Amino acid sequence: MAKVAREMVERAGVNVDQLVELLVKNAAAELTTYYYYTILRCNLIGLDGEGIKEIAEAARIEDRNHFEALVPRIYELGGQLPRDMKAFHDVSACPPAYLPEDLTDVDAILKVLVEAERCAVRGYTQICNMTAGKDHRTYDLALAILNEEIEHESWFSEFLGEGPSGHFMRRGDTSPFVSKFLK
Amino acid sequence: MRPFSKVELARYDGMNDRPAYVACNGKVYDVSTSFLWQKGDHQVLHRAGADLTEALQRAPHGEDLLERLPVVGTLESDQRTKERR
Repeated sequence: MAKVAREMVERAGVNVDQLVELLVKNAAAELTTYYYYTILRCNLIGLDGEGIKEIAEAARIEDRNHFEALVPRIYELGGQLPRDMKAFHDVSACPPAYLPEDLTDVDAILKVLVEAERCAVRGYTQICNMTAGKDHRTYDLALAILNEEIEHESWFSEFLGEGPSGHFMRRGDTSPFVSKFLK
Repeated sequence: MRPFSKVELARYDGMNDRPAYVACNGKVYDVSTSFLWQKGDHQVLHRAGADLTEALQRAPHGEDLLERLPVVGTLESDQRTKERR
């Protein structure tokens, strides 16, 4: 634990135990999403599915990166990951992104993907709101993740015909915002 | 629609296998089956069995997400509860 770092956050008025619990829940959401997106991506096939596979893969890899970036902050603040992976799955801040019944329904897969991203956007907005001006390091991390989650939402939303987002697919490396926490 | 007083609503806190209900803008929603309300806890910050109308103003989502869940009653005013007694 980073004792003074935690103390600074506490003294700024943040309930650190609550914050850590939220970080663990969001780390669980990232890792479980990485798993469920693996299945979704595998099933994005055919004329419609193949066009979406690339962004599903980018979102999948970036969600894993988010998990990796969150873990050190959880431990710095005196928290820890649950010992049991099953328990970790079940405390996720977002519902499981299950593969739809009809594997050929690409729209249904897209809806699962966009709902997962929207849940993440809400979660990191909450963490940013809790930490803004109080816990600079967690805020910086949550904001970086939020930036990527918003782009993921935009990609899937565009494919669902909800309107343009102005975003492009990744060109080159993944996690343009979060990569600084992974070095 | 069944009317709930605040005291009655508080019994539906999702603990010990009890159902989890929350109120918002006068409606009482059953959140028991929602993955996001396990054991009556929502994102660490909110508990079932309460009127969350105020809290929703600061939440990163609107009432539209609650509207996906079943409505099981209405939350009556304290005045109405007194009259009912």
